[in-house]
Amino acid sequence: MKKYAMETAVGIFVVIGLFCVGYMTVKLGNVGLLGDDSYSLFARFTSVSGLRTGSSIQMLGIEIGRVDKLTMDQENQMALVEFRINKGIKIYDDAIASIKTEGLIGDRYVSIDPGGGTDELLQSGGTITETESPTDIQELISKYAFGDVEK
Amino acid sequence: METPLIEFKNVTKRFGPRTILDQVNLRIYEGQVSTIIGKSGTGKSVLLKHIIGLLSPDEGSVLFRGNPIASLKKSEWDAYRVQISYMFQNNALFDSMTVHDNVALPLRQTMNLSKSEIERRVMARIEQTELAEVVYKYPSELSGGMQKRVALSRALVTDPTIVLFDEPTTGQDPIRKNAILAMIAEYQRKLGFTAILISHEIPDVFFISNRILALYDGKIVFQGTPEELDEFEHPFKDEVIQSLEGFQEELTGLYSQRHFKVRYQADLSRKRRDETYAIALFTLEELEAISNVLGHTAAQEIIRAMGAYIDKHFGAVGGFSTRHSINEFVTVLPYSDLDEAGRILEDFAKDFQDRGIRDIGSVAQKEANSAECIDFTILAGLAQGKPFVEMESIIEFAKFRQQEIARFQCELRR
Amino acid sequence: MTTNSHDQDPGENEVTGRPGTFLTRPFAVFGRKVISWVDHMGAAAIFLGKACVMIFRPKQIPGIIQQIYYIGAKSITIIMLVGFFTGMVLGLQSYHALVKFGAQGALGTLVALSLVRELGPVLTAIMITARAGSAMTAEIGIQRISEQIDALDTMRIDPLKFLISPRIAASIISFPLLTALFDLIGILGGFLSGVVLLGVNAGTYFHRVQSSVEMKDITDGFIKALVFAVIVTTVCCYQGYFTHMRTDSYGAKGVSLSTTSAVVLSCVLILVADYVVTSFLI
Repeated sequence: MKKYAMETAVGIFVVIGLFCVGYMTVKLGNVGLLGDDSYSLFARFTSVSGLRTGSSIQMLGIEIGRVDKLTMDQENQMALVEFRINKGIKIYDDAIASIKTEGLIGDRYVSIDPGGGTDELLQSGGTITETESPTDIQELISKYAFGDVEK
Repeated sequence: METPLIEFKNVTKRFGPRTILDQVNLRIYEGQVSTIIGKSGTGKSVLLKHIIGLLSPDEGSVLFRGNPIASLKKSEWDAYRVQISYMFQNNALFDSMTVHDNVALPLRQTMNLSKSEIERRVMARIEQTELAEVVYKYPSELSGGMQKRVALSRALVTDPTIVLFDEPTTGQDPIRKNAILAMIAEYQRKLGFTAILISHEIPDVFFISNRILALYDGKIVFQGTPEELDEFEHPFKDEVIQSLEGFQEELTGLYSQRHFKVRYQADLSRKRRDETYAIALFTLEELEAISNVLGHTAAQEIIRAMGAYIDKHFGAVGGFSTRHSINEFVTVLPYSDLDEAGRILEDFAKDFQDRGIRDIGSVAQKEANSAECIDFTILAGLAQGKPFVEMESIIEFAKFRQQEIARFQCELRR
Repeated sequence: MTTNSHDQDPGENEVTGRPGTFLTRPFAVFGRKVISWVDHMGAAAIFLGKACVMIFRPKQIPGIIQQIYYIGAKSITIIMLVGFFTGMVLGLQSYHALVKFGAQGALGTLVALSLVRELGPVLTAIMITARAGSAMTAEIGIQRISEQIDALDTMRIDPLKFLISPRIAASIISFPLLTALFDLIGILGGFLSGVVLLGVNAGTYFHRVQSSVEMKDITDGFIKALVFAVIVTTVCCYQGYFTHMRTDSYGAKGVSLSTTSAVVLSCVLILVADYVVTSFLI
């Protein structure tokens, strides 16, 4: 019957549409990627230029989490960054967090050297104390361009 | 006099510089068939739209049972509207829906009935209007006449108490026209609604109307029965009625009533005081029963054929005929006295019973295209007339003396 | 023979009889147009408001489902087709632009963001306007001139509730879904031209797509789709519903003019609204 065929078509359409919406939301928008199976860590940087919420956090070249929040710590004149790290990734007390660039003009990401010299594992809410702020390409280039670097 | 169901008091309506309705005063009574007549484009549709509230007057008021409709509360207004149905001149069918869905729409959208109840009512109306074969077709696949019937079914499916018909017979052939008017009259009788028609099918509407309202120059110039209209003198009559009536009655080809009267006066004025003439009255009995069994179209076919037969036979001896009412014919034989007329009538009766009625019957059967059959009889009566005697009273007398002259019997069923 | 200029209307020109002078007349004409435009905007807003309210009355579901079929389900093919080729040409053009900087690895980013933020919502809306919008205007316009809408009035069926509300509800549901479909098919198209045909690394492409599209981009795209849905449906239905008020022509010609106006106006308003919404959301 015509009516039945039409209702079936509508049903299929809505299902396909919702699937696309869902797929986009989950896969591309990274919703639910890091839910309960992650824990927080903090770090302070002198500059987080170029870093954004959702920027990738990598260890040994593998993505292990995302930047969750960027706030200002005015007492210490530093930027406070909150990371969400996948549970199961061990990061030690003496870890180093550096902000690096992908390629030459790519996105910023945080690279974590997990440390391991000490036996103290960082728990949820802990802070990575050793940090390296991003290298400013422009500064570097101007140093070369206008002299100043010893050859 | 009872309170009129609908009343217009000094209603005026203008469209731009033109005044369409000018201080219109009219009354329409419950349970009657009222017809509004007038020239084309003079505002009859506008009048009708005021009744249903699609337009409101610039001045004056429209009253329903004595209360102005403009001041009705919403619930009262709803209660008023729920009982009115409107049939459009161009049908206004929903051409993307089947006939069935068209008729079912008002029930589905405005009432909370069960599916089976809706189905029952819809199919009842569709069968009544002889549309059962096309119920799942689309309006563009139907003939004009069928589309009209779909519109009629849709208007009647909500069991309204007031039905407005905007030119229900436009564009139909004479048989269909009379069939539609007969159908409206029959439903009005059976279901008891108040019917308000706009038409210019004169004189056919006169046969079925209780009340005529004439719209002329934006004013109502006449309200009354069709008989009263006959005696009424007004320039509108000459303009409108004459132009519409013409010489011949559309359905039967006989003289129109007006022309009949003219001829009657002319012929009889030439007679001497003591010369007599004869008047015969023919009646087709049980028209309603015939319509029910064979359908309105077939019934009208019978009337048409009957009229043609009478005219052929009596015309040959100098008689002239007209349709007197929906199922009666009057023939005047100006050159025969009662005895001679009696003999002519006997000849006619014999001929009719032998051949005529069978011809009529088979025509009707074909038109009905169903296996149904019904017996019908034709009565005839004769009376003598003298000049200066009122024709109506002679006809009454003839009616009194009517006897059966022919009968059609269905073939015995196997 | 004296000319009694005191007797004349203050605005009337003695010679031509038309009001105003040649200097003031253009302004008067313009003013009239603006007033009429504002008038129509108001009427359209009321039209939309009433129809939206009636979406929630009973017995609407079958009508809404039917309209989702006509507006949404039947547009799937064309959306997929247009989406795919848009993605393909985006991939092609972006590749040739990026390869000059050695940045063709960023192809996925460019394609995905262009689609999700702009091309998806806008092109989807325009395609649906062309398909379903014009059909809406024509259908309602013809129903208006053949008195079917008056017939609904006489049967106490509110034409707004019966004809317009289901279409608005169906659009609000269909536009975002079709936009999502467009986006995904477009990304696929970009993959086809960029990766399969031009040799960009597949892994890089999809990684870029995933990492550069954020939730904000997706929600912005859907908000646009919703705004476009409301605009297109209102404009197209309004034009059809009030075909009989046109002064420039009547009957069939009126319907065709209404349909043209509806499609053109919808497309223009889509792009205007695109800018306005983007400026609010960015």
